[in-house]
Amino acid sequence: MATEVSKERYLAEAVEELASLTPDHLREVLYKLKLCRYFDERMEALYRQGRLPGAIYSGRGQEGTHVGVAYALRSDDSLFPTHRDLSAQLTKGLDLNRVMAQFWGRIDGYTRGRDGNSHIGDWKGNRTFAVISHLPIAYPVACGAALAYKRRGEPRVAMAICGDGATSNGRWHEALNVSAIHRLPVVWVVNNNQYAYSTPNELEFAVPSIALRAAAYGMPGVRVDGANVLEVYAAARDAVERARGGDPSLIESVSLRWRGHAGHDPAKYVPRELLEDHVQNKDPVKRFEELLKAHDVIDDDGIKAIQERVGREFDQGYEYAQSSPFPVGSDVTKGLFVEDGYWTGEPSREGGTQS
Amino acid sequence: MVTQTVESGAAGHGAEPRGKRTEAGEATYLIAIAEALWEEMERDERVFLLGEDIGAYGGAFKVTEGFIDRFGPERVMDTPIAEETIVGLAIGSAMEGFRPVAEFQYADFMSSGFDEITTVLARYHYRSGVPLPVVLRGPSGGGVRASSFHSINPEPWFAHAGGIKVICPAFPSDAKGLLKSAIRDDNPCMFLEHKWIYRRIKEVVPEDPDFLVPIGRAEVRRIGTDVTIVTYGAMVHRALDAAADLAQKGVSVEVVDLRTIHPMDTEAVLESVAKTSRALVVYESYRFLGVGAEVAAVIAEEAFEHLDAPVMRLAPPNVPVPFSPALEDAFLPDVADIEEAVQKLSAW
Ligand SMILES: Cc1ncc(C[n+]2csc(CCOP(=O)(O)OP(=O)(O)O)c2C)c(N)n1
Repeated sequence: MATEVSKERYLAEAVEELASLTPDHLREVLYKLKLCRYFDERMEALYRQGRLPGAIYSGRGQEGTHVGVAYALRSDDSLFPTHRDLSAQLTKGLDLNRVMAQFWGRIDGYTRGRDGNSHIGDWKGNRTFAVISHLPIAYPVACGAALAYKRRGEPRVAMAICGDGATSNGRWHEALNVSAIHRLPVVWVVNNNQYAYSTPNELEFAVPSIALRAAAYGMPGVRVDGANVLEVYAAARDAVERARGGDPSLIESVSLRWRGHAGHDPAKYVPRELLEDHVQNKDPVKRFEELLKAHDVIDDDGIKAIQERVGREFDQGYEYAQSSPFPVGSDVTKGLFVEDGYWTGEPSREGGTQS
Repeated sequence: MVTQTVESGAAGHGAEPRGKRTEAGEATYLIAIAEALWEEMERDERVFLLGEDIGAYGGAFKVTEGFIDRFGPERVMDTPIAEETIVGLAIGSAMEGFRPVAEFQYADFMSSGFDEITTVLARYHYRSGVPLPVVLRGPSGGGVRASSFHSINPEPWFAHAGGIKVICPAFPSDAKGLLKSAIRDDNPCMFLEHKWIYRRIKEVVPEDPDFLVPIGRAEVRRIGTDVTIVTYGAMVHRALDAAADLAQKGVSVEVVDLRTIHPMDTEAVLESVAKTSRALVVYESYRFLGVGAEVAAVIAEEAFEHLDAPVMRLAPPNVPVPFSPALEDAFLPDVADIEEAVQKLSAW
């Protein structure tokens, strides 16, 4: 299992990593963690009130993984996430307004209403692949982006994320194998939140860890504690460096999925003690906040300011989404092929805001 | 009837060299396809090839023989047997500005990459606006005693997926011009090369490096007045043989070669049916819920007033392609079957 670290040891050991980031960066990481947490909580509340159409896939409890890996990327590196990884996309830089417009099926969403919830991406801007449900279907595509960087001699990397359950699928293995054979600049991330919908790790794989599997493909693999954003970040930074030098590697970051698979799932199959232990002792957001306070990187006022900022940004995003028009029905067949120019022109904004 | 033709090599492929144009400028379909790839690689360095055994070996059917010597192993990239990742490599590199052409050793193995093709490639532009200039090529079709796993005609699966153009040429010039168009197209294209045609059909093929055949346009192969045969791929050649024979018997058949399954040139079909008032669809993919059903439905909806007879379909039954010559011949439409169907239509 992931190294179990006591709060005291965590605070002590993290100091070394603290030194690798400037105080501004550390505060930015805290902001990202808090933004992702707050977004997740508020969206779930709206969903429960029946004010959010479609589905939600909470990433709560896994922010250490998502923020830690995505923060190690540069803006021209690409990210290939899953439904669970919206926090990684937010860290990479997606605009909250447009993300929220996506959730409400509006024209200003990144997919112009053609897809919903976390099936989102901003390839043209933030170089994130628009999420596809089928797991882990973006893994092979990440190989292709990495191949392009390698062929042009660009120092860029592709990072792909998927869950523990997705590693059971054949293409996960295909993609790792091909990336090692052709020495592609990829960072493979597995967000091991211990459950694949209701299925626990032991029914998904028989090896002691997913990280161990890296050896089978001829690449390094590490297992890190997803509750410790700095540990995740350090591993991701090393893996990104290795990829820039031309070699792939695998990171398994262990946490727990705090909520159900999706909004409808009460997740009664997760033992209560396990969940309580994670919420009480392994909360990546709370831990990082305490760490920064203990090292005088931030004070209570600073934390309050971050909290207010994320609240404000969420409220603005919500308003933006509600006032963004729906796509017009007559555009339903447009943009399948490039010829009709739907995606290079401005879409109709005549759809109104009532469904 | 059991034909006596025996294919060289296993499942229709062999180790013989690809061959060259004749003095008169005639090229086989195989050579024409190789020329299209070669010319487009010369023209645009973003174009590259990937697939199994395409490098030093030159591909199972020798389409890429000699390419690695000219273009090197990066642009003629041998991959492991990982079809989902072959498609993934193509998609991801296209997202980053390349124009990949992926070879499937047989079109049958496209099903091993099905999810990446239908779930990512076919849908990505519609939901993101990111163009995917990807070409997937593969040898399709039967009649070469290659049985169930080396004879498939997968065009309906992929035409049904939506965002993929599906191309099925019958002649060397079309193969060359359509493949070049596909490589220059900014959308995903599937190029299905009928392996029965590879070394059998040759003609004078244009040498102009900008010779293109437009995607989505049918071609009338034979002009006639009594019955329209709508067809594509290897069945075009059966239909033309049948039409020549029927002409001797006083029946004038028009043969419309669709060339592209999606988007389909329904205008050309309707124009011909408006003239002949009788239509037969001949195709090698499955009869049930297939290309013929679509063509027949379009004719029924839009040319009903022109029809003097019901639209007929002639296509294989929905069973796996069988091996024994006796069974495969019963499975595939042949010239006699086509003539019989045309005679039935003419009798209306
Ligand atoms: C190929 C495939 N089969 C089934 C599903 C339905 N499904 C969606 S999420 C999920 C569980 C995924 O578990 P895991 O990979 O551990 O990721 P997590 O949701 O826990 O982040 C399943 C079975 C899917 N998306 N893709």
